[in-house]
Amino acid sequence: MNNSSNRIRTSIFALQAIMVLICLVVLGRIFYLQIIQYEVYDELGDKNSIRQEYVDAARGLIYDRNGTLLVDNQPIYSVTITPLNFDTKNIPLLADLLGESDSLVTELVNDAKRYSRFRTSKLITDVDFKVFSLIQENLWQLPGIGHQIDSKRNYPAPITASHIFGYLREADENDYKQTQSIRLGDKIGKSGLELYYQDNLKGDLGINYLKVNALGQSLGKYTEQKIAKPPVQGDNLITTIDADLQAFAEQLMKGKSGGIVAMNPHTGEILALVSSPEYEVKKLAGRIDKEYWQFINSDSTRPLFNRAISSRQPPGSTFKPLMGIIGLHLGIVTPETEIYNSGYYIRGRPYKDLADPGLYDMESAIAHSSNTYFLSVMDKIATSGKLNTWSKLAKDFGLGVPNNIDLPSANRGILPDSTYLDNRFGKNKWGLGDVLNFGIGQGLVSASPLQIAQMTSSIVNGGYKIEPHLLRAVVRADGSIEQNNSTKEKIDWVKDEYLNTVKKGMRRNVSEGSGKFYAAVPEIEVSGKTGTAQNPFGFSHGWYTSFAPSQSPEIVVTVFLENAGWASISAVPIASLILEKYLKGEVERQWLVNYVLNFVPKEDNSEASVSNE
Amino acid sequence: MAIIGLVAIYSATQGPVSEFLPDYIQNNFAKQLLWVALAIVFVLCFQFFTPRSYMQLSYLFYAIGIVLMICTFLFGTEINGAKSWLRIGFFNLQSSEIMKIATILATAQYLTSRRDITAENIRYALTAVAMILVPTIFVILQNDFGTAIVFLALIPVMLFWSGLPYGVSIYIVSPAFILYLTVFDWKLGAIATILISFLIFMVQKRVWLTVTSLITGIITVVGVNVALTDILQPHQIARITAFTNPAFDPTGAGWNVIQAKTAIGSGGLLGKGFMEGTQTQLKFLPEQWTDFISCVIGEEFGFMGLGLLVVTFLFLFLRLLKQAGNHKHPFAQLVTVSVTAVFFIHFVVNIGSATALLPVIGIPLPFVSYGGSAFLTNSLMLAICLNMDLYKRDFSIYR
Repeated sequence: MNNSSNRIRTSIFALQAIMVLICLVVLGRIFYLQIIQYEVYDELGDKNSIRQEYVDAARGLIYDRNGTLLVDNQPIYSVTITPLNFDTKNIPLLADLLGESDSLVTELVNDAKRYSRFRTSKLITDVDFKVFSLIQENLWQLPGIGHQIDSKRNYPAPITASHIFGYLREADENDYKQTQSIRLGDKIGKSGLELYYQDNLKGDLGINYLKVNALGQSLGKYTEQKIAKPPVQGDNLITTIDADLQAFAEQLMKGKSGGIVAMNPHTGEILALVSSPEYEVKKLAGRIDKEYWQFINSDSTRPLFNRAISSRQPPGSTFKPLMGIIGLHLGIVTPETEIYNSGYYIRGRPYKDLADPGLYDMESAIAHSSNTYFLSVMDKIATSGKLNTWSKLAKDFGLGVPNNIDLPSANRGILPDSTYLDNRFGKNKWGLGDVLNFGIGQGLVSASPLQIAQMTSSIVNGGYKIEPHLLRAVVRADGSIEQNNSTKEKIDWVKDEYLNTVKKGMRRNVSEGSGKFYAAVPEIEVSGKTGTAQNPFGFSHGWYTSFAPSQSPEIVVTVFLENAGWASISAVPIASLILEKYLKGEVERQWLVNYVLNFVPKEDNSEASVSNE
Repeated sequence: MAIIGLVAIYSATQGPVSEFLPDYIQNNFAKQLLWVALAIVFVLCFQFFTPRSYMQLSYLFYAIGIVLMICTFLFGTEINGAKSWLRIGFFNLQSSEIMKIATILATAQYLTSRRDITAENIRYALTAVAMILVPTIFVILQNDFGTAIVFLALIPVMLFWSGLPYGVSIYIVSPAFILYLTVFDWKLGAIATILISFLIFMVQKRVWLTVTSLITGIITVVGVNVALTDILQPHQIARITAFTNPAFDPTGAGWNVIQAKTAIGSGGLLGKGFMEGTQTQLKFLPEQWTDFISCVIGEEFGFMGLGLLVVTFLFLFLRLLKQAGNHKHPFAQLVTVSVTAVFFIHFVVNIGSATALLPVIGIPLPFVSYGGSAFLTNSLMLAICLNMDLYKRDFSIYR
């Protein structure tokens, strides 16, 4: 009995000792975790439950010169997926809700898996709001599926102007490696103003701190300690575009191939800029229509190619006014010098001259586009060894040099000098025969419609070099406005008398030359010069550059039409209508509009090689 | 009577701990509150019984318990992978909880029914082991590994109390200890084997027992290594790896361990404050109202809170053991000690899981965790101890 109670006492003591010991171990462990390693776990806990989230900034808006909204943003609804939490058994349900086929959804889910099993990515963007609501309602049955509201570009104005605005695409590896501020999947400008002013338009990303639970579901904003950074909206752009004029120009260019540039000759502000055929920039906003994307990339008409600024074509006779100015400056001719046209200019070979045979001074040579006159001027420049001077002088008018238009991919054109010709043909392997053509804007001389408009502007604004541009002002998120001041630089060697002579010729080109059929605008004096670019592959390309009113020009319009044949019946009426629209506000000549809309190219069947309209 | 106060206070202080966790599962709190109230009434009413009555009814309890277990096995509902619940009317009954009491009472009754029955006699000892093992098997069939451990732990405790020699007792417990260390490192297991064998020799100078212990230890160490490499299924190995190295698979098997440690660790000295724990309130913890409730306390009330909880539990254990020592009747002693052991195992495994001292084994913390059956059972166990203490003098006369 005594033995037994002893044993009981010992046993109880042993058990108590074990319990105390183990409790001490537990206490020690808790002490270790909570006190000694507190900082480690405290940080872990924060990391666990607070997630940093970027908030996209609203992209800047684009307005026309009169404040008409051209480009804004529109919310789109996206469905997201976190593959780790998504059960593939739910694919049929998901597909059903999305209204897509099982196989497509399976494919999309697999794409997301390939990107990352753990990170959330967009499964499908720009879904219909009804579909989006359906998904939202059924989210509880679809673990791993989420939703997101983004924005896409919206184009409220009745203009296409795809070559002005450009399109956005999601940034790829190359993009985000270049710039720190771009993340994978950000939508960035890939062409047009969207690209050129990407830094202005994009705004600043905001940062939000969110409390999340173990499933990554957001539980609201986390505001303690860390300060969230609100996004800063991108700068709004006020462009120089006149939306009405742009819309009208686009209408006229429907079904045609070419480019139009309408510009203020004194400032270089571009009023309208059309390249046709166009692509629908709207179709590239939001969810990318893969078929359409492939179509515009591979179509033979190259709708993505900006013909107004990137094409490179011989300017033909539109170059003649500049030739006149250079000829006068170099003293090769005076305004009174008369040169006889026999129907051909013969120098090694005959160069056909379609102008009526007879004596031509500079005015009439421009008015009637006498090839002989300008070939002979070029002849004298070349033979007196002034080819490089000629090239330099012409470059002052913006040809053959890059212009600083605020659009990507403008072409600098070609204005050959001896170095260029040496490189092209080899030293001493070129001769007068290669150079003579330059005098009538043929051969190697080439320019974009924008450059011809720029050249014309310098002629009509009193010899100032201007920089064509589309941006009028930047309006920052804080309301401050930064004007884009037009620069204007006098070309020192150009004298008014040269310009006056040439301008008179251009006026007469409209009143009595090839422009007389369609160029004139009722009640307004219009000047211009037609031209034809040789095209070895088909109908020649028509050029026309014009300005009005002749005495105090307010606008320069340059039209370039591919494969349109005679410029006087194709490009000229278009320019005439644009001038009328701009200067009068309304177009009264509906018959001419109809004519342009129904225009079918006609080609002269004669040797079009050197036609001179 | 002082102990009744303790229970009341205990119920009052520990019960509402469950208040802050289910703020999304508010229902659970309301239910738990109901259970607590029910339990208090139950505990008070229970004092009208005399120890003698349930002593005599213990075999019947046991039989009913086994029937309930069979019913559960056949018609039970499954919750979290364990088929331990029997739906009766409006509530789910966890039959294994009831079975704990029945087993303790019946086995204690058996071991103390006659003076000549001691655990020293191998036949009696094995009978007692069988009485415990039968419900254990059912529990394992229910897929409730945690509860099975509690039952298994009863074997050495009850046998030890019934006169099993110290050395043999240590020997019975030793494999578990060696196994635990071997999972970390087989060398630790080997050292423990040698030390335990030495201890057994010191306590009970029997060469054969020491040798057996040594051999068992070696078999355990080798067996664990073989099991880890060859026998265990991948998901089981994953669980063990998760325990030894949770960072190996942080979002999978290691998730619970990491989140639990993070919850407790980020609590610091004073905790983040009531309802302020980011880990718990943001649902990073699985089963935080039952198996990981200590993390909630640790995170929100810090070292002070969790430490107080541990000390409170320790106080309860020591108090119960002291009571057991005061009992004259072996049945009362054995039951009290067994009840203490059950509480203790629950406590150690639960807190051990949460603090990553032990592998994660789902088992509630007595009186703190959510769970009606468990709370009622625990209260009942405590009530029995109290009751026996209350009738201590009378009871001893019945001998």
